[in-house]
Amino acid sequence: MKRAPSIFFYLPASVVFSVFFWLPLGGLLLESFRPFTPGRIGAVSDAPLTLANYEELLTPSFLEFFMQTLRISLFASLVGLVFSFTLAYWITRRMSPRGRAIAVGFFVSLMFLSVLVRTYALELTFGAAGPFRAILLSFGVYPNSRGYIEVLVAAGLLHYIVPLATLTLLTTIQNVDPRLFDAAQTLGAPGWRAHLSVTLPLCRDGLLAAFLFSFAFSISAFVIPMILGKGRVLFVSNLIYNRFSEIADFPSGAAISAVLFAVSITIVYLTTRYVNRREAG
Amino acid sequence: MGRKIDDLFSGLGRVMNGFIICFLIIPLVVTSLMAFDARPYLGPLPPPALSTRWFSKFFSDDYFLRGLGVSLELALISVCLSVCIGVITAVALDRSNSRARELMTSLFLSPLIVPPVVTGFAILIFLSKLGVVNGFARLLCGHLIITIPYTIRATLNGVLGIDKSLTEAALTLGARERHAFWDITFPLARTGILCGGIFAFVVSLDDVAISIMLTDAKTYTLPVALVSSMRANFDLTLAAVSVLLMGLTLALIFVLEKTVGLNQIIGQGTFR
Repeated sequence: MKRAPSIFFYLPASVVFSVFFWLPLGGLLLESFRPFTPGRIGAVSDAPLTLANYEELLTPSFLEFFMQTLRISLFASLVGLVFSFTLAYWITRRMSPRGRAIAVGFFVSLMFLSVLVRTYALELTFGAAGPFRAILLSFGVYPNSRGYIEVLVAAGLLHYIVPLATLTLLTTIQNVDPRLFDAAQTLGAPGWRAHLSVTLPLCRDGLLAAFLFSFAFSISAFVIPMILGKGRVLFVSNLIYNRFSEIADFPSGAAISAVLFAVSITIVYLTTRYVNRREAG
Repeated sequence: MGRKIDDLFSGLGRVMNGFIICFLIIPLVVTSLMAFDARPYLGPLPPPALSTRWFSKFFSDDYFLRGLGVSLELALISVCLSVCIGVITAVALDRSNSRARELMTSLFLSPLIVPPVVTGFAILIFLSKLGVVNGFARLLCGHLIITIPYTIRATLNGVLGIDKSLTEAALTLGARERHAFWDITFPLARTGILCGGIFAFVVSLDDVAISIMLTDAKTYTLPVALVSSMRANFDLTLAAVSVLLMGLTLALIFVLEKTVGLNQIIGQGTFR
């Protein structure tokens, strides 16, 4: 019996990925070292290499965009983690099998719902022209203030993070033996102590993974800050797009892309390394 | 004392859960209500009269319809191509030893960890250097890169679950390898393949970050059209489109539940 070598079956995907993914990423990196010629789309291909595009990123105005992205992403990921853990615990331990099935269906449906639709729905509902405008104003919250816009962007991220993290943590909590919690209680620990010293440590890997997923998603978010930020809160992704669409500065956009790429890869690397090491040990 | 704190925490947890579920649902309910608003402007809730004017406005708007056409065509072609490539690659991964499989899987899943804007920008620079200016071709390249990882992963999950002795038995009994694939592997991996196809369809239909980089003046996807009109003015036609997309999501979820089962998608723990 003769079997075709598996190299042959790797061909289609390898060709597509090399031509439309790996080569372009390499080209992007190269472009980021080229000088920018105003008025020209893309750098001159034999121009000398330069670090100018990266030096520009170290100016305070650019660093501010990075800090803003990291700050809002960190806030949304942490809040999302608390919300998701409480939800997941409630679904796993307090709900009937039927209720659990409905909850899972609800969160999976949300995951499949277009991010754009959800972002639009949030803007329509909580935005400056939305039906809650009067209520917000009566609480002294101005829907056009910078603080409120930042919260709205975080809310947009949360609308994606919470279903994702809840589904991730559902499996984590299902793998914790509830009898350990009961044992701690029988031995005299109050419920909150038992959770703090038994349930939470046992869920540590799941919590870490959910957090890093959420954070990686948030820092590369594009549509959510674009719609909800109204041009006043910009994430790094939006900056890359603006470099391209407003001034056609490809080299600078490429340098920002390279930095964002490096940050994302680092987070994913930390996730696989840390979570896998603990699983192995 | 301990009991009181427990009750406090458990009450707090309940309130928080109620709050977050309201936060997730209310925007969708408000949007659905507004989509049927008969008023020609954004007014307070609830709408005094209902109508389907925004839906008819969407279906008579050339700008949106053109985007919808491109989106559907692009999604269907991307799904067909990425399902084929996904199946072939999953077979290759299944046959390789575990070291090679791990390496190749992480290579092929890597587009999932690269920020989509970066992927889109890289493809844009690359294709403009090559002189590819056709919008549809550029969009197809971008969408293949983000859909293939999903089809590979879902198909691989299906293929790895198949008992190897079934294929070996068929081959020992004299079946050609092609027959063994079509009669054994393919039917058993069908749910995984379907699952991957649905994921690919959803990803392609929802993408903004890559598509917005690769569109040209005449070829743009529905999400890109929606984003640009969202920034221009806040028109309730968008609410109507949202309701249509919510309906589409529910239909897809229904298909998934009937064929694969939603529990299969998220996996199950031991102590439930």
